[in-house]
Amino acid sequence: MADAFVLDKKSILERLGGDEDIYAMMVDMYLQDVDNNCAALDGALQTGDADAIRREVHTVKGLLATFSDESGAAEAQRIEHQARDGEMAGLAAGVVALQERLREVAKVLSGG
Amino acid sequence: MHTVLIIDDSDINLTLIKALVLKLGECSPVLFDNPLAALEWCRGNVPDLVIVDYMMPDMDGLRFISAFRALHGRNEIPVLMITANDQKDVRYEALLGGANDFLTKPIDRIEFSARARNMLSLRTGQKFLADRAEHLAVMVEARTAEIREREKELIFRISRAAEFRDPETGAHIQRMAHYSQVIAQGLDLSLEQQKLILDAAPMHDVGKIGIPDYILLKPGKLTHEEFEVMKGHARIGYELLKESGSEIMRAGAEVAISHHEKYDGSGYPHGLKGSHIPLFGRIVAVADVFDALTSERPYKRAWSLDDACQFLEDGRGKHFDPLCVEAFLAGWEQVLEIRQRFRDEDIPSI
Repeated sequence: MADAFVLDKKSILERLGGDEDIYAMMVDMYLQDVDNNCAALDGALQTGDADAIRREVHTVKGLLATFSDESGAAEAQRIEHQARDGEMAGLAAGVVALQERLREVAKVLSGG
Repeated sequence: MHTVLIIDDSDINLTLIKALVLKLGECSPVLFDNPLAALEWCRGNVPDLVIVDYMMPDMDGLRFISAFRALHGRNEIPVLMITANDQKDVRYEALLGGANDFLTKPIDRIEFSARARNMLSLRTGQKFLADRAEHLAVMVEARTAEIREREKELIFRISRAAEFRDPETGAHIQRMAHYSQVIAQGLDLSLEQQKLILDAAPMHDVGKIGIPDYILLKPGKLTHEEFEVMKGHARIGYELLKESGSEIMRAGAEVAISHHEKYDGSGYPHGLKGSHIPLFGRIVAVADVFDALTSERPYKRAWSLDDACQFLEDGRGKHFDPLCVEAFLAGWEQVLEIRQRFRDEDIPSI
């Protein structure tokens, strides 16, 4: 992942209509779910099923976009397309990088 | 209160959309992380808006919409599908498959509120039209019932007009009409047909209006020529009613022209035989003759019930359709009850 994740709370809040409660709730949920999301990516990877990988990566893409991580979401989209096209080479590395990104975002969110 | 069904396999999205739906006001969100379970819920519940994610395991949003639309009465309920920006092909497919609009991830509250409100307005309009249509249907039904009642009253009065010129009574038309219904029931005719003959039978002698008094009211036996004129009442009744816009009057026309036909072909005016005689005519023939026999008239005493039944029995296949006689006798309890209900001394006032 090229860029480090920088929390843009203003942009997230703007999308949520300035609702701090919803924001706080979403951060909580993200932090609760991050391990599950990483595990789901692992599971899909182990099946070797490109479609399952694509689906999990798609979920992660949405999650990262929700927290205005444009760089992370773009990378997820690239991997999603790769899975869609059945290009297995390098797919595992991409998925691992995404897991790292999920944890990095979690770290920033919990710190913020 | 609008019921908003939200289907997304991601908990965080479900929670976010739920929070946004609650912000809309007057909405009650119903959440599912599994589209198959949501579909099951939809079999017994009707949401006002469906918000469904595209990419889900087991069943994607497109397949969900298609299955949802296939459920009875779910064809017009607004559906918003959530897609990513880069899924243009999915959007086209969804539009063709029955989605009404889209939400783009990440969800933006302003966009969400505007689109969701539009969809709910659409739904409110649909419900208003449906309620209005239902209201109009109820009104039309009530008015139709009113018109039918007036039609029946009119028919009763027309029939009475004929009866007033005749020694027979208002109670006679009531009894013979109800006997006709008993026979129709015994013949397994539909409820509508049973009702129709009940309403139409009173008009059987309406053509007597056109018979001169010196014949109609003659105390003694009619001459051959006079009887020929008298027989004309069947055709006059038919002419009077035949082209009416009312189904009851048209049935009355059929009864009027055929109730003096006899099963063996010896009746009038056409000398029709067996099943060539309209069924209503065959039914009314039994009902009318039985009541005439068992009623007292200025010129004759009432026959006993046994004698009248014997007359019907003897007339099977000659004067009467055997099946109609059988149906009449099978409804004997009802016949007795009708005789009690409409007695000559208690002519219903009109």
